[in-house]
Amino acid sequence: MTTLQTEVLVVGGGATGAGIAWDAALRGYDVILVDRADLAEGTSGRFHGLLHSGGRYVVKDPVAAKECIDENVILRRVASAAIEDTGGLFVTTPDDDPAYGDDFLAGCAKAGVPVEEIDVAQALRAEPRLNPGIRRAFTVPDASIDVWQLVWALANGASARGARILPYHRAVALHRDGDAVVGADLRDERTGEEVRVEAGFTINAGGAWAHEIAEMAGIEGVSVVPGKGIMIAMNHRLVNTVVNRCTMPADGDILVPIRTVSVIGTTDIRSAHADDLPVTQEEVDQMLEDGDRLVPGLRSSRALRVWAGVRPLFDDKKGGGSTRDVSRGTALLDHRDRDGVEGFITITGGKLTTYRLMAEEAVDAMVQQLGHDRPCTTKDAPLPGSEDGAYMLAGARLRTRDSHLRTEQLICECELIERSTLEAGMRSRGSRNLDDIRRNLRLGMGPCQGGFCIYRATGILHELDRLDGAEASESLRRFLEERWKGVWPILHGDQLRQARLDDWIFQGILDVEHLPGAPA
Amino acid sequence: MNVDVVVAGAGTAGLVAAVRAAQGGAKVLVLAKGAGATHLSPVTLDVLGYAPERVESPLAALPGFIAEHPDHPYAKTGADAIAEAVSWFRDTLGEDYRYVGDLERNLMLPSAAGAVRPSALVPATMAGGDLHDGAPICVVGLRPMKDFHAALLADNLARQGHDARAVMLDLDVERVDVNALGIARMFDRPEARSLVAAQLAVRLKPGERVCFPAVLGLRDAMGVWRDLEHSLARPVFEVPTLPPSVPGLRVDALLVAALRRAGGRIIVGSEVVGAEPAGDGVTVRAGAAAREVVHRAEWLVLATGGFAEGAITLGSDWRARETLLDLPLAHMPEAGEPRFVPEYFDDQPMARVGVAVDSGLRPIGPDGARVHERVLVAGASIGGAVPWKEHSGEGISVTTGHHAAGRLLGAATSAKAAV
Repeated sequence: MTTLQTEVLVVGGGATGAGIAWDAALRGYDVILVDRADLAEGTSGRFHGLLHSGGRYVVKDPVAAKECIDENVILRRVASAAIEDTGGLFVTTPDDDPAYGDDFLAGCAKAGVPVEEIDVAQALRAEPRLNPGIRRAFTVPDASIDVWQLVWALANGASARGARILPYHRAVALHRDGDAVVGADLRDERTGEEVRVEAGFTINAGGAWAHEIAEMAGIEGVSVVPGKGIMIAMNHRLVNTVVNRCTMPADGDILVPIRTVSVIGTTDIRSAHADDLPVTQEEVDQMLEDGDRLVPGLRSSRALRVWAGVRPLFDDKKGGGSTRDVSRGTALLDHRDRDGVEGFITITGGKLTTYRLMAEEAVDAMVQQLGHDRPCTTKDAPLPGSEDGAYMLAGARLRTRDSHLRTEQLICECELIERSTLEAGMRSRGSRNLDDIRRNLRLGMGPCQGGFCIYRATGILHELDRLDGAEASESLRRFLEERWKGVWPILHGDQLRQARLDDWIFQGILDVEHLPGAPA
Repeated sequence: MNVDVVVAGAGTAGLVAAVRAAQGGAKVLVLAKGAGATHLSPVTLDVLGYAPERVESPLAALPGFIAEHPDHPYAKTGADAIAEAVSWFRDTLGEDYRYVGDLERNLMLPSAAGAVRPSALVPATMAGGDLHDGAPICVVGLRPMKDFHAALLADNLARQGHDARAVMLDLDVERVDVNALGIARMFDRPEARSLVAAQLAVRLKPGERVCFPAVLGLRDAMGVWRDLEHSLARPVFEVPTLPPSVPGLRVDALLVAALRRAGGRIIVGSEVVGAEPAGDGVTVRAGAAAREVVHRAEWLVLATGGFAEGAITLGSDWRARETLLDLPLAHMPEAGEPRFVPEYFDDQPMARVGVAVDSGLRPIGPDGARVHERVLVAGASIGGAVPWKEHSGEGISVTTGHHAAGRLLGAATSAKAAV
């Protein structure tokens, strides 16, 4: 068994955990970040991609709105490479009360969200697919954010300052020494190897799973209720601006253009367990129906993939000692104050847009408990890749491709991924999992959902000596199984046609189902 | 135009029906929206590969399979029709593209991923890969071709006890990214392929057979293949890989040529948009250069395909439809029932959805009554099969295409006899 020492152990590799690792590393701490799966594979990787302006919350939750606009401004500065500056629109559909627009304007003014009411005609000129029956339109500084790019920039930034990033390392036990948490036992989920971490301080950034981690430290009453939201990626960018319904937040009222697709979301359903998130045909039906109100024809457009994420909704079963703020949905639990357990704090709840603030508050709480004086610098320190402050551009890959037409093999035609990019991604990740590569590079995220590129990528992974035949075959089969979970509920029209072609390729021609497995 | 038979669709089923009908003396017109799905097919004549265990002998397995699947296209035509159709297909392609094998025993061929894939008959250019033969295999990768991964193939074969290894060849081409078609055209040139052979010869070990991706020539595949076997002095075989399929293009071209030889016509780009009963025949409306053309025929053979070809669609209202004649579909899950299940390799409820037909391949309604006297259905349009799983796709297309033509020729013969 390997033993590692560190000052700070962060459990949970979503945006908050990666943000904490970056924040703590910038303050000079030695950090280990662990996750049971890949980074941003839980809640962070399963959202719609919206960097909120705060407009969404100005009427219902002004405090959250203020936080969102403050963080929006900061992230545009420090994480620009992960952000596409799409701008946002709030539109009053024929089903919405136009008077809400007045509350909306007043709320924006109060929270400091820059807003402007524009002519409906102007909105329709900018977004011709919008419902022509809209009655009011407002612009706000919404944007879209590529969460995998963001989280890996945070992790790589931390790593460059000495942090160790350990995806696929599940915390199986937390160690107590009297009244203090002093480390954890990890299990490498890929190799089964056990790793012992001795840590000066442990931060639980487990999100919707935070209660499971708190329980390992013997702490009761941390209760997180999973709130399930489904989202559907539509082929193409049906809009180029984030479009919100100008009404109290409801289901299916946000359409976010991100990279090559647009994502319609979302719902909010209390779920029994964060790891069991079935999507039903009925939910898909309702979401398409809702989307059709914003963009008529969305219902019959090509849907690529559906997924469900869980919001961690904190519900403290133990009164007092908690700094839970009901209005924001963020919970920072200092377990020294709450439970008499030192060296351990929990942060959960919140939203992607405010991950940095949550990280700052969590690390501040740790610094205070440790009696140090190390201020937060994440408001001004650009993430790796964002030093020049340039936003992500939707057409950037096409531009690169244009100049490489005769010199580079194109492996994923849908997402314009070239062979050298893919090989570099495989090498730098050191990953043997095609799904990890998918998230990092958007491999197989386009209309054919990997129909053509995944056999190629499997062959290339094998050729790079990252995988032997058994592992390559398993990885290919697992990719197909994972992919199917996200496509079967939405299959209709052209996407069903595509799925049938893919059945022919993978089952008919390649016979992947009957590839030899790993020897027992 | 007045013809005896209009065939809608130019995939394998449509062309087989058309060629056989034309050979039988019918005046045949094939109308197709675009190139047929044969362009995507590996064109191994898979009759029955999995049921669900791997099938060693289709002939032995078919009676049981048919009994268990009374709605399968094979159950409609009967096992004898399969044997007849397969022989006819082999004879029709003849020496231009010789098919090897029979229904007695499936050949076991490597897939491009290295799985062992059962096929009844396969082109001679592929047959040397049969894994019943224990000779060692050298798998040849071609650097500019991203759709074939030799090392993966060889590694997976080796893990199943076959003696296999891979080598990578650079080709004398300017581009780094060439698809199967581009490489096949290169192999058509004698000087280009002798360069490949020379480069390869020094890397081969005694006793090895040579495995290429299926790119060995487009115009004269048999000639290219023989030439390589000759110059390398050992068996050479091709393995089909991702579309576009070079062997598919060869077969498509040969079937079209056979159709023309038999006096049939084909118009690609003229999609059939409707058909109505008219007297003893059928009126077929087809699009042509922004107007509609009406054809009078005795028979319409519907061979437009299934979901993969866009001939059957599932709307966003979750209703499935055969798009040309709105023919009744079989095997569609009821509203509210699952259309699919979450495990990819499990049986998918929608997999068998297709046009309901009787044993004469005529479309029928839920009550079993014929809905169109002068329409016959062939190929992937017919419900009741999961061909990509059963490895029965080409078998169904060839059998039902051949059978449909037989039905209409037989009907014509008996009509004449009656007169």
